[in-house]
Amino acid sequence: MMGSLKKSKPSSGQIFIVGIFIFYMILPIIATYIFSIATRWDRTILPEGYSLEGYMEATTNPYFFITLKNSLVLSVASVLVSLFVVVPTVYWVHVKLHSAKPLLDLLMILPFGIPGVVLALALVQVYNFQPISRSPLLLTAATVVFTMPFMYRSVSNNLAAVDIPTLTEAAQSLGANTFNVLWRVIIPNIFPGILSGSLLVFATVFAEFTLARLIVGAGFKTFPMLLVEYTRKDGTIAAGMSVISFTIAWIVSLLILWASGKGIKVSRESIGAR
Amino acid sequence: MMTYLELTDISKNFGNVVAVKDFNLSIKKGQLVSFLGPSGCGKTTTLRMIGGFEIPDSGTILLADEDISKIPPNRRGIGMVFQSYALFPNMTILENVMFGLKMQHKPKKEMTSIAEKVLDLVRLQNTAKRYPHQLSGGQQQRIALARALAIQPRVLLLDEPLSALDAEVRVALRGEIRRIQSDLGITTVYVTHDQEEALSISDMVVVMNNGLVEQIGTPQEIYRKPDTRFVATFIGTANEFHGIVTDSENVKAGNLVIKTSGLHNFSIGSEVVALVRPENVEVFDQKPTDSMVNVVEGDVDTITFHGAITRLGINAGGKMITADVTITGRNILSYHQHVWLSFNPEYCKVMAEK
Repeated sequence: MMGSLKKSKPSSGQIFIVGIFIFYMILPIIATYIFSIATRWDRTILPEGYSLEGYMEATTNPYFFITLKNSLVLSVASVLVSLFVVVPTVYWVHVKLHSAKPLLDLLMILPFGIPGVVLALALVQVYNFQPISRSPLLLTAATVVFTMPFMYRSVSNNLAAVDIPTLTEAAQSLGANTFNVLWRVIIPNIFPGILSGSLLVFATVFAEFTLARLIVGAGFKTFPMLLVEYTRKDGTIAAGMSVISFTIAWIVSLLILWASGKGIKVSRESIGAR
Repeated sequence: MMTYLELTDISKNFGNVVAVKDFNLSIKKGQLVSFLGPSGCGKTTTLRMIGGFEIPDSGTILLADEDISKIPPNRRGIGMVFQSYALFPNMTILENVMFGLKMQHKPKKEMTSIAEKVLDLVRLQNTAKRYPHQLSGGQQQRIALARALAIQPRVLLLDEPLSALDAEVRVALRGEIRRIQSDLGITTVYVTHDQEEALSISDMVVVMNNGLVEQIGTPQEIYRKPDTRFVATFIGTANEFHGIVTDSENVKAGNLVIKTSGLHNFSIGSEVVALVRPENVEVFDQKPTDSMVNVVEGDVDTITFHGAITRLGINAGGKMITADVTITGRNILSYHQHVWLSFNPEYCKVMAEK
């Protein structure tokens, strides 16, 4: 599996295609970074001057830290709920209720098919009673549904790559109860899936605007809502906030990857060996 | 010796499919018993019921006089080895082997000493720090065996443990399993579809087909005195002569008259099949003396060299007969050679056609 493909020099055509792809992906990010520190950038190829005023203004806005905190809380809560709802469900479907898998696979496509606006308005209509109505609780539930396919697919693919039923039985025959089976055998082996699912959910919820705007509105302002407000006022500050948003997403990703480095390494090796 | 593991009237259905029906078996302490049969015969289901991974619909399983039929697998103290090894990929070999001991909350020192002992038993002491994927299939299965042995199980279950391995490793490892099993005197149930495997390592073989027990006996009994036609044809190879009983010692099969000694249970005119093992067919390159019975003429059609023996396919007037011979310099046979076959009436086993 590892290093079995002989490395040969890429052709100029391959380099060109990869180059175009990288350029396409990175250009908007670079532009955003430059724009966030530019003074004026509409008459020249490169900005006329540079300053950190955009960042200063963004961080001095009283809403800056509130919305940042709200978004972090929302993202972390979504990840946690998703972990507790999706992971055990997928596990049981894989181990005990295999016949339910096609249905679950189908259900997990739905969030992609339903536009956020429709989902938000439907939820607001249906859960139109206190204390749920227009609450951050309802928003969390909505973001969990919205990002469920990310967690489901990651965990499900990982489960399919490991022979969970046999590992479960092997652990049981050695005297492990359900807790030990899950904690010592199953979770370590599907950890890469759980991790990538969590990252996807976190990043998606952190940048989510539609659901937050329509379900809670000004009552629980999130970071993307503040960002959208600024795009109407001052592009430089909005760009600065976008950069902060990217950076947070990256830091969180790196933190999670770093914190679980050993687990990933081992699991990847074991899956790679199959 | 007293019965240690006893299965009484065990039945199990999956929906409308009968997996196991009226299974009865007593195993003495320290015995190695094989469940042998084609896939879908119920052997693995029965094993899994002993292990606690399936609950029987009816019947009881007694282990050392305790009814374990409904005890969950993690409280049975029964070790199991799986076809796919099922080592925990996230743990080192040592952690794998110590897993069961950890579940028993054994002190660290004791765990290490037991782990060393069982790794020594399977001759893989130097792999302790490695991960399962760094080992070959045969090594992984030996670790799986060591892991199951570490908990000092009351019974050891092996579910087709060698099926995923190549021929050479299979033969070596089955010998090793038998050695360890008899050294430790551990009561073992071994599931396989490979008759050679079952015959070579077992104290007792249970031949199963379609959820039913066909025969229980020592490997010799199963091979030499099959109770049913299924056993006779599933274990080893047998030439079949379909015919009708004509008198107290003869069966007429087509234009052959076969003399046999096993007809006292059959009435004249009943339809039977006479079975003769290839190794019991003698081959002559000249017409034998008239005192010989069951002499058949034919031409050599196929010659397959198997090392110690050579298997001949002989066309006897349209009927193909298989004979195993040891070819020495004296009797070299060639294709289309005309030969005479003969078999002793004692080696001709007769069974009812239906």
